[in-house]
Amino acid sequence: MLNTIIRKLQRYKGWFGAAGGLCLGLGLYYGLVASPPDYYQGEVVRIMYVHVPLAHTSLLAYTVLFLGSLWYLWTRDPVVDNLCHAAAGLSVFFTAVALITGSIWAKPTWNTWWTWDARLVSFAVLFLILAGYLMLRTFIDDPEREARYAAVLAIVGFIDLPIVHFSVEWWRTLHQPLSISMRGVSISKEILIPLVLMGIGFSILFVYMLIVRTQMLYLSSLLNAKKGRLLSQVHLAKVEP
Amino acid sequence: MIFFNVIRVVAWKDLLCEMRSRETISSMFFFALIVILVFSFSFSMDQQAARELIAGILWVAFAFTGIIGLGKSFSAELQNDCLEYLQMSPAPKGAIYLGKVAANLLFIVTAEVILFPMFVIFFNLDVVEDLPVLLLIFFLATLGLSTVGTLFSAMTVQIRAREVMLPILLLPLAVPVMIAAVEATRGALNGNPLALYRHWIELLVVFDVVFTVVSFWVVELILDS
Repeated sequence: MLNTIIRKLQRYKGWFGAAGGLCLGLGLYYGLVASPPDYYQGEVVRIMYVHVPLAHTSLLAYTVLFLGSLWYLWTRDPVVDNLCHAAAGLSVFFTAVALITGSIWAKPTWNTWWTWDARLVSFAVLFLILAGYLMLRTFIDDPEREARYAAVLAIVGFIDLPIVHFSVEWWRTLHQPLSISMRGVSISKEILIPLVLMGIGFSILFVYMLIVRTQMLYLSSLLNAKKGRLLSQVHLAKVEP
Repeated sequence: MIFFNVIRVVAWKDLLCEMRSRETISSMFFFALIVILVFSFSFSMDQQAARELIAGILWVAFAFTGIIGLGKSFSAELQNDCLEYLQMSPAPKGAIYLGKVAANLLFIVTAEVILFPMFVIFFNLDVVEDLPVLLLIFFLATLGLSTVGTLFSAMTVQIRAREVMLPILLLPLAVPVMIAAVEATRGALNGNPLALYRHWIELLVVFDVVFTVVSFWVVELILDS
């Protein structure tokens, strides 16, 4: 079923790319040029328009990975596994970039590259879980077993995330409160518009990349299967006489 | 009834192997002693500093020691293809898993109970009144490590680079256990009233329940040849 959906999406994937690019372009214009600098943070605040949507997209990617893993265990469709693999790779990418941009933003505003704040630690743990997921996949030879184990790990990790978040939040809030809080300041329209645009843009871009990457993984698994069959034929031809 | 028999038999089998070879607990014990030694080189501590740091050191040592035991739990089954037979047996996989968890829990808690006096001696601690609470924390946190750890042990034993992958998969997921265990242990060692760190013990209980259920549910996908 997914196969046909992906094949259909495949045909229109250019539109996804274009729509995502358009949203990101507009968002960047609003964010970098049209919106006013922040009262406290000045021009520095503009990195928010990249950082916050990226963080949200990485969570979206993990949610897709989680649902995809459940779906895989339900149907055992190899294409769904390709989708999960693609979503995991993208989630690692978005998480890493979110962590890096966050670090760059933290330096001028909090005067430190890194602080053991709840959200930062949760994201670092998320990154580690996903990196472990990708590593696990490289260490298994049998594709079916790889898919099964990876799905289990994705599900267990997803269930763990809220517990990680709560534990880290308790751990930190008991010691020291956040130095800067976004809450309490209601977001004005000039900030909201680019933020939403960038969020939509990154989400569409994620869907576009997901389609392309799923197709890529699907084709390479086909290729591997063909190669295996060819090799065994060559091997048999050698053995027979 | 068969279900509980399988749990008992698997746990008893592991226990018997351990009593005859004494491999796991002795390797865990000496490894943890080395960890204590390395930590005492790394930080020069008076008693005041020790009180602050000891909970963290304790759990770093326990976690890495636990990983040794958890890894051995399934890699020992590789000899004579025992793992294959475990997977082929008609026994419910969940019961095999719970038996393994019980055995691992017992081994690691035993190692911890032997090790803890070493910490008390080497770092000049005084613990008398809070000992039952400490034991409860040890038990709950080790159960948390064992539930997820046994699942990943079953998973990593069947792949390449298993010694590396077990800690890489386990430790990020066990972050809540580590934080809660360290905070609760610190509270208990400093003689704080229970109400100040009770929420950490509750967090450990929540983690244990959630991951026993989840692992029990997914283990059939792992132990399936």
